[in-house]
Amino acid sequence: MPHRNSIKTLLIVDDSRVSRMMIRTFVLAKHPNWIIIEAASGNEALEIVDRDTPNYCTMDINMPGIIGTEAAEQILAKYPSIRVAVFSANIQESHQTRAAALGARFVAKPVTEKSVAQALEFFECNK
Amino acid sequence: MNPLTELQVDTLTEIFNIGAGRAASSLSEIVGDPVMLSVPRVQLYQSSEINAEVLSLNSPRLGAVKQHFSGPFNADAMLLFTEDRALEIVHDMMGSQVSINDIAEFEQEAMCELGNIILNACLSSMADILKLTLDSSLPVYSVGETNAVLQQIILDANQPIMLVLHIDLAIEKRHSQGYLVFLLSSSSLQELLAHIDHFISGI
Repeated sequence: MPHRNSIKTLLIVDDSRVSRMMIRTFVLAKHPNWIIIEAASGNEALEIVDRDTPNYCTMDINMPGIIGTEAAEQILAKYPSIRVAVFSANIQESHQTRAAALGARFVAKPVTEKSVAQALEFFECNK
Repeated sequence: MNPLTELQVDTLTEIFNIGAGRAASSLSEIVGDPVMLSVPRVQLYQSSEINAEVLSLNSPRLGAVKQHFSGPFNADAMLLFTEDRALEIVHDMMGSQVSINDIAEFEQEAMCELGNIILNACLSSMADILKLTLDSSLPVYSVGETNAVLQQIILDANQPIMLVLHIDLAIEKRHSQGYLVFLLSSSSLQELLAHIDHFISGI
């Protein structure tokens, strides 16, 4: 049984500041004590993960530098215990399939309370 | 000319990113191949400044699909792309049903449909996110010498401001560049920005 109130660290990876702000707001509304870290690119996310190793990660796909699915693949290869939700507007089947193959959950943008809840559900479900 | 704040640009970019993502999904189903998208870039211009050079349109000929959107603000939305690539995309859409020699015959209809998908995906994501309703007219396709097409568009719309959204769109090996262009009046732009600000303040 996961502890709903335990402190977790979430890394939000998105080149859009507005999207990061929205994800942060919706997550903190449910989990006010979580620690939120933000990255504006996949490359930045890789550095942060090595330094801070979050519990969870939301990952956009279309970003400058390496694309999100590539970053997610590298993160999961190194840290398989991090739960990654690929959070993207790029809802093509090929991306959804790739996310599933990586063991990540695909969540379609826009960022809403509902879509954030889908990511949270995946983060907190039993492995 | 760029009186938009960083957050306004970010919000518009993200709205169009979501729209382009929806469009790419439909497009990829139509052509049967994955579609790669770049991060959209949003920029404001005076209509009088616009020409092929400003938009870095290197092709001598240009195809344009135009639709008029109306609601809390009005805009002429256009999808611009180079014509040679348009034919390749039409070929991908029609697959083996049509020979390459006959493809031009279907160009008008296929490009209208394509423009309809992409423009509506972008505008409907804007409408959903900003919680407003936008109605659209039927798409119209025109093709011709690049600067002539651009000048005609500007003349027809008779609006001073152009909101240009630049997206690189690649279907498998066929690299194509598309521009989404919105022509609006200053009052429509102010109305759009008011909706954007309202959205940002609600985060």
